[in-house]
Amino acid sequence: MVMRITVKLFATFRENRFKEARREYPPGTTVADVAAELEIEAGLIGMIFIHGRAAELDRVLEEGDVLALFPLLGGG
Amino acid sequence: MLSKLELERYSRHILLRDVGGPGQHKLKAARVLCVGAGGLGSPVIEYLAAAGVGTLGLVDDDRVSLSNLQRQVVHSTENVGKLKVESARERIAAINPNVAVELHPLRLDADNVGELVGAYDYVVDGTDNFPTRFLVADTAYARRKPLVTAGVLEFYGSVTTLLPYAMDTNGQPNPSWRCLMPREPETAALTCSEVGILGGVVGVLGTLAACEVLKLITGVGTPLIGRLLMVDIRDMGFDLVDYYRNPASPVFGQG
Repeated sequence: MVMRITVKLFATFRENRFKEARREYPPGTTVADVAAELEIEAGLIGMIFIHGRAAELDRVLEEGDVLALFPLLGGG
Repeated sequence: MLSKLELERYSRHILLRDVGGPGQHKLKAARVLCVGAGGLGSPVIEYLAAAGVGTLGLVDDDRVSLSNLQRQVVHSTENVGKLKVESARERIAAINPNVAVELHPLRLDADNVGELVGAYDYVVDGTDNFPTRFLVADTAYARRKPLVTAGVLEFYGSVTTLLPYAMDTNGQPNPSWRCLMPREPETAALTCSEVGILGGVVGVLGTLAACEVLKLITGVGTPLIGRLLMVDIRDMGFDLVDYYRNPASPVFGQG
């Protein structure tokens, strides 16, 4: 059994990856697991949204979740 | 009252059906605090000054350096070494002498931020670090001031508008900054001086931020409340990402 998760990436995270993809993960997968699989360094993640609501790295994903990952855009 | 010269200067605003004379009067009466007189702050300051915002407060403790000039268009080569707020004041005076400018050459901290934010009607944040962004966002929330906040890096940027003390059309409170980022990042964010920034990117994001402020003041259109505009100049794409209030977010419901 697998979960289908829509992963959306923004800004630098898109480079050599993708903008949006439907991906399959085993139950129990966390946001941190997805980031690790995509080789996104946790320390570079600025915002995490699941269905438009802020979430943490240790959040366990659920079937049908829409996960969006944004890097820190700290310059001015 | 607008003088004859002001009526001529702002005629293209006054022609706009949704702005008109009443909108221009609102701009003249408005006090806007611009946090950061750097890359994002440059177009913010220039467009708000040109638009006839009555009073601009400028916060920045930095001095103009040669490496700023590739993107910080409010400053000029002859002003290298000058305080950024003083350099920006010269530019504002050249654009529109009707604008009153208040200089705050200081670094915002917990002791001075409340009084400063409290003295203005609107806040626009184009600072270059997250501790200041959190400080400004939390304070604007507590003081019930509309905040437009933007960030950039490399070829990318984001901008959104925060009125977390106000209700949406469903009677629910709008999201706060802490609904985007519940807490400050543990690691220091990469900076433009470390990884670079395409000059025009700050022009795009700063101009968008200025437009949001002008819309808030005049009451025109729909601001970016609950919507994060992500700008990708590298592959040229704009994404509007909806976000929602998070009752579990720190600070939410306080202030």
